[in-house]
Amino acid sequence: MGDTVLAVSGLQKTIGKKQIIHDITFEVLAGEVFGFLGPNGAGKTTTIRMLVGLAKADGGDIRIGGVSLRDNFPEAIAQVGCIVENPELYKFLTGRENLEQFARMSGGIAPERIEEIVRFVDLERAIDDKVKTYSLGMRQRLGIAQALLHRPKILILDEPTNGLDPAGIREMRQFIRRLAEEEGLAVFISSHLLSEIEMMCDRVAIISHGKVISVGLVTELMEQFADQVEWTISAAHMQKAMDVLRRHKAVTEIAAVGEDRLKTHMDMERVGEVNQALVQAGVPVVGIATKTVTLEDLFLTLTGGGEK
Amino acid sequence: MNPSMLGLVQNETVKLLRRRRFLVVVLILAILIPIFTYAQYRSVITTQERMGTTDWRPLLTQQIVDMQNRLASSRLPDEWRDIIKIRIQQQQYYLDHDINPMAPGGPTFARGFMDQTISMFLPMIIVILAVDIVSAELSEGTIKLLLTRPVRRWKVLTSKYITLLLFTSLTVVMTLFMAYSLSGFVFGYSGWDLPVLTGFEVAGGELQTAGAFMLPQWQFLLMQYGLGWFVCLVVGTITFMVSVLIRSAAAGMGVMMAALISGMILTQMASSWESSKYLFVVNLQLTDYLNGTLPPIKGMTLPFSLTVLSIWAVAALIVAYTAFIRRDVTS
Repeated sequence: MGDTVLAVSGLQKTIGKKQIIHDITFEVLAGEVFGFLGPNGAGKTTTIRMLVGLAKADGGDIRIGGVSLRDNFPEAIAQVGCIVENPELYKFLTGRENLEQFARMSGGIAPERIEEIVRFVDLERAIDDKVKTYSLGMRQRLGIAQALLHRPKILILDEPTNGLDPAGIREMRQFIRRLAEEEGLAVFISSHLLSEIEMMCDRVAIISHGKVISVGLVTELMEQFADQVEWTISAAHMQKAMDVLRRHKAVTEIAAVGEDRLKTHMDMERVGEVNQALVQAGVPVVGIATKTVTLEDLFLTLTGGGEK
Repeated sequence: MNPSMLGLVQNETVKLLRRRRFLVVVLILAILIPIFTYAQYRSVITTQERMGTTDWRPLLTQQIVDMQNRLASSRLPDEWRDIIKIRIQQQQYYLDHDINPMAPGGPTFARGFMDQTISMFLPMIIVILAVDIVSAELSEGTIKLLLTRPVRRWKVLTSKYITLLLFTSLTVVMTLFMAYSLSGFVFGYSGWDLPVLTGFEVAGGELQTAGAFMLPQWQFLLMQYGLGWFVCLVVGTITFMVSVLIRSAAAGMGVMMAALISGMILTQMASSWESSKYLFVVNLQLTDYLNGTLPPIKGMTLPFSLTVLSIWAVAALIVAYTAFIRRDVTS
């Protein structure tokens, strides 16, 4: 991982009388995809608006490439490429005219760079058509071209897969990984979908009610929830099943969930073996399920099951 | 390299042209000017038929007699009496000095056109040009593209304002050019040198002809379109503020239209409400000061109206910049 590209500390925002953002602190490094995970209404979009200069922070500090966004807006924002919510473009202009608009707003962009970025997002054939004739996927790609045109150090995307079909989502995911791995770009992505973050991101900040409640590697985060198996057993045999599982070497942790279900942490390759042991001990197993982690599970664990 | 103001103005120009705002303005002019030309042509023909002559002197004499007859009526309100007296003095002056005030011709039509349009029609056209110059970016969400580039907000707004001023000026020039060239088909293209009487001053409801003097029509037109240009800049600036404050173009258009129409109504009935002279909409008919028409409210003079309009424009700019720079952009 490279240098810190984006450093956010103690960010605060009050809208009206309500404090929306209490304390957001995290850093994004060059060459990594950083996830910003939280349920809708947690303050993701508000935070992003402050990161790109659309809204002003009431407290805290945002530094991009070491430059304070508040004190030197032009120099800081010049290093940022972003798509906030939908890619908003001038529909009555062609794709190329749109890019020319952004080139003039960024300054110092050669015409060849426009050609290069158009090839990069694979829009050569449609670039001289008006944007209102574009499909959503094409608009998305033109939006990315616009965001990357001035060679930013960090790309900020707000829910980038929203509204895309499964093929589009997969394409977007690969594209984002490529940007980070091959171009060494820092990519900041917000999402309310854990699965998406898990597939795309290296590190993740989890936010809830305007606070960061955890920052860490995605792999480490997921590890806590890995290797979980849920057993459904008739209520009469619960005690016996607990005894069998407790004695088995493959099982590291057991917890009862409700009156006919057990949750275990265990070596996934030995599920069959454990099942056999249960059956041999006379415990009828009704169901075995590997557990998928949901955002709610994550929140319950991180907040100790308390806060809602 | 920082983005240049020239590049930003170029961006705004491309957007304004591609939104077809200026095309609409030119089309409106291209349709309305021939209609007005035809209307004027009909009225010239009708008066000639009625008088049974193409000579304007008997016509003018007849008008003076008509007005004197009206003065004789005792039921005439006092304000009207003043206005008619001034008119008679004026017409008499034209007659004595052998000036045909209605001499048709492209330049004369252009002069009449500015007189008729300065307080309502031209401002409306400028409103069309200006009303969504900022609000369209807000309602379409493209404001995000403008504000997340390395350009400070005041610069973004300034580039829009400069573009608006350019196109407002162009509109006034286009109006003169089209009024002259389209009406010239019917009335001919001569008349630039025709002497026009101006320099009347109104003091205490009396027309002071002492300062009156003769100007070649082209100079008069220059002064007149200069005043028209000023009115358009002020209306454009106020509309610009409305565009920053009101996201919906339809609502912004409604606000400006209501203001202009109420201004027109007020000028017709406001002589008893004196402080209405501080409203910008009452001060738009600047060409009346050149023609020597009594102002709608006593105490209004050309410098007064120019000052009121300037103050309104400066205030509108302050509000527009403050709101635009402070605003948090939400969807």
